[in-house]
Amino acid sequence: MSQTIFMKGNEAMAEAAIRAGCRFYFGYPITPQNEVPAYMSRRMPEVGGTFLQAESELAAINMVFGAAAAGARAMTSSSSPGISLKQEGISYMAGCELPGVIANIARGGPGLGNISPAQSDYWQSTRGGGHGDYRTIVLAPHTVTELVELTMDAFDLADLYRNPVLVLAEGLLGQMMERVFFPDPEKRQLVGLLRGRSLPAKDWALTGAKGRKPQFIKSLLMRPGALEEHNFKLAEKYALIEREEAAAEEIDCEEADIILTGYGTCARIAKRAKEMLAAQGIKAGIFRPITLWPFPAKRLAALAREQNNFLVIEMSLGQYIEDVQLAVAQVKSLQEAKIQLLARPGGGVPYPEEIVGRVREMLP
Amino acid sequence: MLNLKQLSLQEKKGLAGGHRACSGCGFPQAINMIFGQSTVPVVTTCATGCMEIATTIYPFTAWRGNFMHSAFENAAATISGIETAYRSLKKQGRLPGDDKMNFVAIGGDGGTYDIGFQALSGAMERRHNILYICYNNEAYMNTGVQRSSATPKGGHTTTSPAGKVVPGKVQFPKDLTHILAAHDLAYAGQASVGYHLDLMRKADKAFSLAGPKFMNVYTPCRLGWGSDPSQSMEIARLAVETCLWPLYEVVDGEWKLTRKIREKKPVTDFYKTQTRFRHLLKPENEELVKEIQAEVDKRWHRLLLRCGEGA
Repeated sequence: MSQTIFMKGNEAMAEAAIRAGCRFYFGYPITPQNEVPAYMSRRMPEVGGTFLQAESELAAINMVFGAAAAGARAMTSSSSPGISLKQEGISYMAGCELPGVIANIARGGPGLGNISPAQSDYWQSTRGGGHGDYRTIVLAPHTVTELVELTMDAFDLADLYRNPVLVLAEGLLGQMMERVFFPDPEKRQLVGLLRGRSLPAKDWALTGAKGRKPQFIKSLLMRPGALEEHNFKLAEKYALIEREEAAAEEIDCEEADIILTGYGTCARIAKRAKEMLAAQGIKAGIFRPITLWPFPAKRLAALAREQNNFLVIEMSLGQYIEDVQLAVAQVKSLQEAKIQLLARPGGGVPYPEEIVGRVREMLP
Repeated sequence: MLNLKQLSLQEKKGLAGGHRACSGCGFPQAINMIFGQSTVPVVTTCATGCMEIATTIYPFTAWRGNFMHSAFENAAATISGIETAYRSLKKQGRLPGDDKMNFVAIGGDGGTYDIGFQALSGAMERRHNILYICYNNEAYMNTGVQRSSATPKGGHTTTSPAGKVVPGKVQFPKDLTHILAAHDLAYAGQASVGYHLDLMRKADKAFSLAGPKFMNVYTPCRLGWGSDPSQSMEIARLAVETCLWPLYEVVDGEWKLTRKIREKKPVTDFYKTQTRFRHLLKPENEELVKEIQAEVDKRWHRLLLRCGEGA
């Protein structure tokens, strides 16, 4: 059943997880995501699920590890410093090929930083974060409705690929209240990132070996060559994900004077700047990655064939711009392309006017 | 030991006025009464929490001495590093051998009972010359009142909400002072900010001893507890009088009750003062309250035996 309500981002995400069939949530307090565990503590018992507050982030992610190994849809959430603490568990989950959803309602860093929204966990999110050769799928919503949709998709992609999936949203989105559309979860599976594909049975799960051969879930591979083999196998999976799952929103990118690119909150602000630029006779396109890993590099590269001007907007100090540069460099030299950065790190949020000002400086 | 009057006359230590703790908050008084007992400079590390936030909003600080915050789980580890460096500097002759300094780590119950427990246990086992102070307000207050392993059974928090089916937190609190005493510390003490003399005596004693020391100090939180801020001290005493928070100390393995309770008040007397227990006073939770009272009685009885008080 679909539904439209007025709701806070963090609570909407929690509700979306429950509607997507998540029955195990393991949390720990940290601002600005505290509404997630609070909502789960109230809601999970109503649907026969389990809310458990761990004694640390490290414990919470390993509870997800345990529940996922048993075949359940499990989730944890935190904010930047807490996500750092979860990295060991995420690496182990990737190594063991366990599905699970981790939400990062990100705040400013490094260190304790502050509790303002930020995007400075981009590298941590898209490059692995923990130790070892691994990848996590990273989904970046820019509205509360999209936070709901991508949370549902996250569980599907996690199960499809047996891989941890990160939902990366800035504190702004977690704290924001707006009109939220809750799609029917089954219909979402048809039109969302799952695109109607059927999910494999979890026959690998540890459900008790009665009547079948014992199964193993482990990331310790000591036989000479075994770990290398395992890494190559994982790499094949990651290559498949890169081919299949990259998603982006493109608005008026053809024949634009400039392309504004950013994800999450920054894309939302860029959309407003685009309207303001239009009023001044400047045609701005928007390129917004929905998946940060895999990064929709092919699409961006295709746009770069016809376009030289890119303004990268990020609430971090030049992290996201690297992926833009790598994509553009596939088709032309970075001397030829003009890629500029509008960075607001440490909890700063760009104003649409700032974007408009930079665009006017860039365009002759 | 310096009493309150002497404390007010001596050079100020601990926190300066103007910090941003709430009215009726328990920790500022506790900190000043404890720090006032130190006769030498104090180096402080602190876990993330209300106290860290309320006393050190950059570019301001309420701390009169050296203060360092690291992460949520690491106050005991950071003070271990500082104390080790200090000993090393002395050994190298870079500090005078007779130099004296106290090393204090502070954490709330979340940063001490839960996420900081590993670092705390490690520091105590290595027997650093430190005093660890837990200011215990029985939940994660800085992040908006989430349950901790110090939250009492039946307590309402945002992650142990009291409803029709589940009446608040399901578990009894962890007895951390006992656990720390089991580390065979130079000093372990349980105090309440409501009993000033007892608290200051304990701090004085702890500072006078070498080796690892621990104090668990009960400090009301009017926001998280839903209590009248003008009643914080009364409530901190009521916790003792109901035996929910007995006052005792363990010095070199010797257990001693520091406040005898001749007429134990029922736990409901304590519950009446705070909205977090409001639901427990309803008739449907009568059995639960009986169960809690029985556990409190049991723990009290066990403590009396440990302290050689008979019972």
